[in-house]
Amino acid sequence: MNDMRLIDRATDMTDVKIAARGVQVFYGDTHAIKDVDVDIQDKTVTAFIGPSGCGKSTFLRCLNRMNDTIDSARVEGDIRIDGEDIYDRRVDPVQLRAKVGMVFQKPNPFPKSIYDNVAYGPKIHGLAKNRTDLDDIVERSLRRAALWDEAKDRLQEPGTGLSGGQQQRLCIARAVATEPEVLLMDEPCSALDPIATSQVEELIDELRANYSVVIVTHSMQQAARVSQKTAFFHLGNLVEYGETGQIFTNPQDSRTESYITGRIG
Amino acid sequence: MPLLWLIAIVIALAAVGAVLGRRRALASADGDARRLHSLPSYYAANVGLTVLTPALGLLALWLLIQPLYVDWRVTELIPDAAIPETSTRGLVMSDVRRVAEGLDTAIQQGAMTEDEAARLQTESTDIRERLAAVGVALGSNVRPEVLTAAQRYRDLSGTGTTLMAVAVLLAAIGGLAVSVLMTHRDFRARNTVERGIMVMLIAAASIAILTTVGIVLSMLFETANFFGQHSWTDFFFGLNWSPNFRGNSDLGIIPLLWGTLYISFIALLVAVPIGLFSAIYLSEYATRRVRSVAKPMIEILAGIPTIVYGLFALITVGPFLRDYFAQPLGLGNSGSSVMTAGLVMGIMLIPFVSSLSDDIINAVPQAMRDGSLALGATHSETIRQVVLPAALPGIVGAILLAASRAIGETMIVVLGAGAAARLDLNPFEAMTTVTVKIVSQLTGDTDFASPETLVAFALGLTLFVITLCLNVLALWIVRRYREQYE
Repeated sequence: MNDMRLIDRATDMTDVKIAARGVQVFYGDTHAIKDVDVDIQDKTVTAFIGPSGCGKSTFLRCLNRMNDTIDSARVEGDIRIDGEDIYDRRVDPVQLRAKVGMVFQKPNPFPKSIYDNVAYGPKIHGLAKNRTDLDDIVERSLRRAALWDEAKDRLQEPGTGLSGGQQQRLCIARAVATEPEVLLMDEPCSALDPIATSQVEELIDELRANYSVVIVTHSMQQAARVSQKTAFFHLGNLVEYGETGQIFTNPQDSRTESYITGRIG
Repeated sequence: MPLLWLIAIVIALAAVGAVLGRRRALASADGDARRLHSLPSYYAANVGLTVLTPALGLLALWLLIQPLYVDWRVTELIPDAAIPETSTRGLVMSDVRRVAEGLDTAIQQGAMTEDEAARLQTESTDIRERLAAVGVALGSNVRPEVLTAAQRYRDLSGTGTTLMAVAVLLAAIGGLAVSVLMTHRDFRARNTVERGIMVMLIAAASIAILTTVGIVLSMLFETANFFGQHSWTDFFFGLNWSPNFRGNSDLGIIPLLWGTLYISFIALLVAVPIGLFSAIYLSEYATRRVRSVAKPMIEILAGIPTIVYGLFALITVGPFLRDYFAQPLGLGNSGSSVMTAGLVMGIMLIPFVSSLSDDIINAVPQAMRDGSLALGATHSETIRQVVLPAALPGIVGAILLAASRAIGETMIVVLGAGAAARLDLNPFEAMTTVTVKIVSQLTGDTDFASPETLVAFALGLTLFVITLCLNVLALWIVRRYREQYE
């Protein structure tokens, strides 16, 4: 996975999971996202790259309507998941977020036991019929997040007692446990050391089999390693979007080229 | 030399020393501040502190010790025979001090010369009359031993004060000389000054602690005194509170504790839900504008003096509860009741609970809420299952603080619940609390040696132990369950 096969990365999935058209985001008077169009494919890892403050995290937060929790934020445009407009009045953001999971920049396990952290989503959404069912979900999610072997003997210990990398994998397990269709990751490795980072990256690659994964990252190497599609944001604009290999080897826009060669950003 | 002048001179010396120190330091570095070990101001501060600290320290110590020493020397002058049957040495000594002060006043007002005061004789002068002329009233004629002692007292005090002035000035000048001589470009003035400041900070902290220790000790002595005169089984297990100043009182703490706990319980029953819910609304749902108005409004409640709450209980809540609840329900017709005091005290405690809880809920990181919301939890699920559990230790601490307040409250109880000690379950009956009884045992014409008065100290100590336990419990809970959300 860590080899840099940039060109011949498998990108044969073509069904569009998320379609965004003309998305604008305002924070008060600040125009944070300017007219972004993007199609995110199913069972693909899509990376958003760009310098700080370019709007990539903001755009990510539009996809599960987390911007709703910020009073001053205003979103315009059209974002569809499986053809359904998520900003439609009939859509409940709570149900949307159950379908679109999110992992944050800093690991944020709840101050509860490891078990309760993972069981939180399934309990809220009534995914488990009984205790054994819930145990199964917890085990499956922890296994999927490659944390089961480390955590199986300490499920009742607080999740905050884990190491940083383990905490982030716990957060991934927690997000996976609600069985979302899309997984959004906002710089999931920025607070982790290289070893934990490579574990999480490996995990992202495996998650691709079941989910559409969107990852925001500051590390271009990481984008190149884990993603099939890459979108480059600059000053609120989506400058370039395409196959990861193509973006990194043959960018069409001069700004993209400047950024990936380290001249800006 | 008056004390004020002495202090002023010491301060002036310190100021002069500071200037000298600064100059000397700069001179030793040829006027280049960069060649000094510390900034020039540290050299000035060093000299200033070296002048002030020993001089003022000596002054304080002298002022503490001199009266003790003078008393001890003067007491020797009074033979046992000179102490009347009905009196004690302490009372005679206070007579001596009073006469001595009277003589001072007389001299100050010019009614007597210094010489005359020293040579006064009871045989030749009516001292009582002469002192009365300058406004010092004495209870009886001055006996010769007392006058001699008083003259000796003035003599010793005068010498002591002169010596003190000399010693303090010497200390100040000595400090000035030593520190100015020490001032040199390589002298580590910053380290010295910072150490001195640290010592001052430690002293300030110790004063707070020592005062607490002193309070506890004085309570302990009086309490021990009380238990020497009254059986502790009656105090701790007696079900009856009926002090009787002719002796043979029943001084059982149980009815008072019952009243205290009952009223506090009702108060918390009111304050905790209302305070907690308003904290949740303010921190989680209210817009910033509502919050900025509502929070100070709630906190105003905390600024109302408790006597005002007491009046509210007495003239509004009490009659209302009596007319609309107690009488129709057949639960008595007392205007003052546990319910009245409890309700009003609960209102008083709302800001304690809500303000602290609000701060604590706000301190829960936004990342926790985001994490929960991103999993598809609703706002209320997030609050119930993530925010409140994370804030719980702090909230418990806030509640226990409110409980300590409730247990120690007096004014609302006096006016709201009355002063009758009673063991009863009916919340519409008048009852009273430990604090109210402490006040009533110590006010009025009381003999400070009878168990009926001393019981106040035992009550106070018991209350102190209870609130101390509550505070320790609160601290323990907060530490034990402090959520490691970082």
